[in-house]
Amino acid sequence: MSNNPHDPNSKLDVKDDEKHLLLDHSYDGIQELNHPLPSWWNAIFYTCCAFATGYFVYYQFLGGATLRQEFTQSYAKVLVAQAEFKKANSAFNQEHYQAIVADGGVKKGAMVYEVNCEACHSEKGKGDIGPNLTDDHWLLAKGTPGTVYNVVFNGSEENGMPAWAELLAKDEIYQAVAYVASLKNTFAKGGKEPQGEKVIETSETVVEK
Amino acid sequence: MSSTHTSPPTANRRLETFSYDDQIVKSFVIATVLWGAVAILLGVVIAFQLAEWRLNFGVPWLTFGRLRPLHTNAAIFAFCGNAIFAGIYYSHQRLCKARLFSDLLSRIHFWGWQVIIVLAAVTLPFGITTGKEYAELEWPIDLLITTIWVVFAVNFFGTLVRRRERHIYVAIWFYIATIVTVAVLHIVNSMELPVTLLKSYSLYSGVQDALVQWWYGHNAVAFFLTTPFLGLMYYFIPKAANRPVYWYRLSIIHFWSLVFIYIWAGPHHLLYTTLPEWAQTLGMVFSIALWMPSWGGMINGLMTLRGVWDKVRTEPGLRFMATSLTFYGMATFEGPLLSIKSVNAIAHFTDWIPGHVHSGTIGWNYMMIAGVLFYLVPKLWNSELYSKKLANLQFWFATIGLVFYIVSMWVAGITQSLMWRAMDDAGRLIYPNFIETVVKIVPMYWVRAIGGTLVLVSFFLMIYNLYMTAKRGKKRGVEVYESYALDDSSLEPGASSHRKLEGLPMVFSVLSVVAILVGSAIEIVPSLMAKNYIVKMDVVRPYTPLELYGRDIYIREGCYTCHSQTVRPMTHEVLRYGKPSEAAEFVYDHPFQWGSKRTGPDLARAGGKYPHMWHYKHFYDPRAVTAGSIMPRYTWLFDNKIDYSTLSKKLAVMKKLGVPYATEEITNAVAIAQAQAAEISKELVENGVPAKIEQMEVVALISYMQRLGVDYGQLPETPVELPSTEVK
Repeated sequence: MSNNPHDPNSKLDVKDDEKHLLLDHSYDGIQELNHPLPSWWNAIFYTCCAFATGYFVYYQFLGGATLRQEFTQSYAKVLVAQAEFKKANSAFNQEHYQAIVADGGVKKGAMVYEVNCEACHSEKGKGDIGPNLTDDHWLLAKGTPGTVYNVVFNGSEENGMPAWAELLAKDEIYQAVAYVASLKNTFAKGGKEPQGEKVIETSETVVEK
Repeated sequence: MSSTHTSPPTANRRLETFSYDDQIVKSFVIATVLWGAVAILLGVVIAFQLAEWRLNFGVPWLTFGRLRPLHTNAAIFAFCGNAIFAGIYYSHQRLCKARLFSDLLSRIHFWGWQVIIVLAAVTLPFGITTGKEYAELEWPIDLLITTIWVVFAVNFFGTLVRRRERHIYVAIWFYIATIVTVAVLHIVNSMELPVTLLKSYSLYSGVQDALVQWWYGHNAVAFFLTTPFLGLMYYFIPKAANRPVYWYRLSIIHFWSLVFIYIWAGPHHLLYTTLPEWAQTLGMVFSIALWMPSWGGMINGLMTLRGVWDKVRTEPGLRFMATSLTFYGMATFEGPLLSIKSVNAIAHFTDWIPGHVHSGTIGWNYMMIAGVLFYLVPKLWNSELYSKKLANLQFWFATIGLVFYIVSMWVAGITQSLMWRAMDDAGRLIYPNFIETVVKIVPMYWVRAIGGTLVLVSFFLMIYNLYMTAKRGKKRGVEVYESYALDDSSLEPGASSHRKLEGLPMVFSVLSVVAILVGSAIEIVPSLMAKNYIVKMDVVRPYTPLELYGRDIYIREGCYTCHSQTVRPMTHEVLRYGKPSEAAEFVYDHPFQWGSKRTGPDLARAGGKYPHMWHYKHFYDPRAVTAGSIMPRYTWLFDNKIDYSTLSKKLAVMKKLGVPYATEEITNAVAIAQAQAAEISKELVENGVPAKIEQMEVVALISYMQRLGVDYGQLPETPVELPSTEVK
């Protein structure tokens, strides 16, 4: 079969308005039109290249902030916010605790516990990787809400307990404490063997000394 | 049949007769549909595994981490690979007016490639992998790939030498760029030192390995999934539509700008990592510059259909090809968008990326292949398409399935990313538990899996349709063609310089190599040459023998397919994972394991975060410690004994690669490893685990997990300096 563009037998579908643009080449019957480059294509291409150059020059040579600098800035702000929160809440607030308990804190705390604490302390405080919370022995806290709050808030790197002040909201911490306090001395079946010291005196005054 | 030339014939022209080797094209067509079905089926399986972890079946070689590399390799190299070879061998012969250089080389090429695919299928599920994405195949297979690729190149260029058409058409330009670049990419990225027949370590480590890998990975997309397909598009669309290509000039400009610019864009996969920032910025800006060169191919293809759009409605082949081009346009707009640092900060590591990838692989590659097959199969088997109705049904299954895929992954990706970064006024993460962000998007995993199933159904419809088409074909003899041998009559004195270049394919090839080597050299060479590219830290020490063994298990199980190992310098990420990663932390990582997707959390600083017992439980059943986890169980790690036989050899190879192991460490590797295993087991046994655990693989993996990021991570935090001056 012929590929000659001027051949009347050619099957090629060339429109009248583009006949003059048809190039002489033919490859296995494929021909090409020589339309001028689309102006919008040119414009966007050159704009992108100009942007690319400008962007590179600005960030590489004209002092544009590096990713690390941008990070340091935003991280510093967060650290300040965290420090302020810790400062304002590191001390256990008995009044706030009671308000939380009155507002269904134990029940809400059970949900906080399930999501955050259960992985280590097992269901209902039976203990697993972390200690049993249902017996009368305590490793770090002394079983009172105040001492439990302290451990939850600050964590213990040695014992693998995270500082939950960095992870949980204030009320969530109080709710979790309320729940844990409710487990004390319930001696759950199948619980982990006791760890730490046995705490007999559980009155707030003794522990808070 | 004869082929005449536009120039007047001269007396001494030599008319030659020849035939084309269409048998080899048929072979590649059959391989394309078979492997395509396998690749898509694997994709559907792993999509469902993400939605429902039980579908990992507790069988090692059926778990996501092992099947995902098989899916990607099958889709890219088996499905698209065979399709490329079919299309190239069909069109190249006709564009050169010459039979393929050697029938024998064609057969070696075909069978060699199928052997490679089979080897991939029998190694990857068994955890035999280099752990480098899209380059997972181990070193003997890498060598085979190199050999077969050379066979392909000799066959291709040999045909070019024997061509009867002076000038090479734009499709061939793209084929040339494909062949030379893939060779360079594969060889440079696959440099590895063997330990055994089935295990090797990458020559590069850490940042360098990452840079080489993503220069490769990105350009595998460019030169395996883009340029050859643009070449096919330039041949099959004008042929199927009987229309001239719309812009000759655009084809020149977009070809050269595409091959030159594409190669630079690799570092956009490594934004916010410890890759030097100048390289990251280059990756981003070249990606933006790449937008129009990519679209050049799309608009040239679409405008070629000017005046014949009714055929897109009636001809299934053209419909697939036109749709393919629109998805190509979408994906190549989304690509530069995702390369912008601030957009990348949101999208990277999320499901948005697989969504983007599949708008390319399903939308562009599968649909283009379907279009090409609907053209090729009736021609090759001397038949007519069995059913247009079936083809239309296939089209809608594929398109709707793909839309399900893309949209669900947009929603999943953006949702999860926003949850990762959500913070309250007190500077705390609102979703500190990673699992909350996983549970939220599992419904989207179901939608994606259903979308994938629709695509799979569409593929089976195509296979049936093509099979019936071929079956109805009528036998015919070999067609013989006539053309004049190449002589002076086809010279075009006074032609433009590019037109002259089109008559010099070898010069053209050399220039293509130069075009891709410029970007490669500027980005890669400094990282490989400069000694102080990374400032070393004394605190970062090589892995202990047991940890190295554990790391190989991590690689074997494909953990990197779901977990990253690099903390980006972003506030929310530092709150979640710890200090941003530093380049020096990875200097002993042959290969690097930064990953590209966080289906699970980042592990760069996982070391010491949980007790050994936590990991023990977690590997046995992730749900025991993380309710809602979608991670598979790794129960076999509790039954497989640690194989110490090659441990010393592994350390010795690492030492050759520059990891400073002392000679005693290498000779006593087993004893050192056993001592560490005993120590870890002690804690486990205290918690009621049977003592024989000491010999099991899980202990090695735990030792690696506990080492991750601790060398530098445990250094006291440097006090954050509050910036005194405003940073622009």
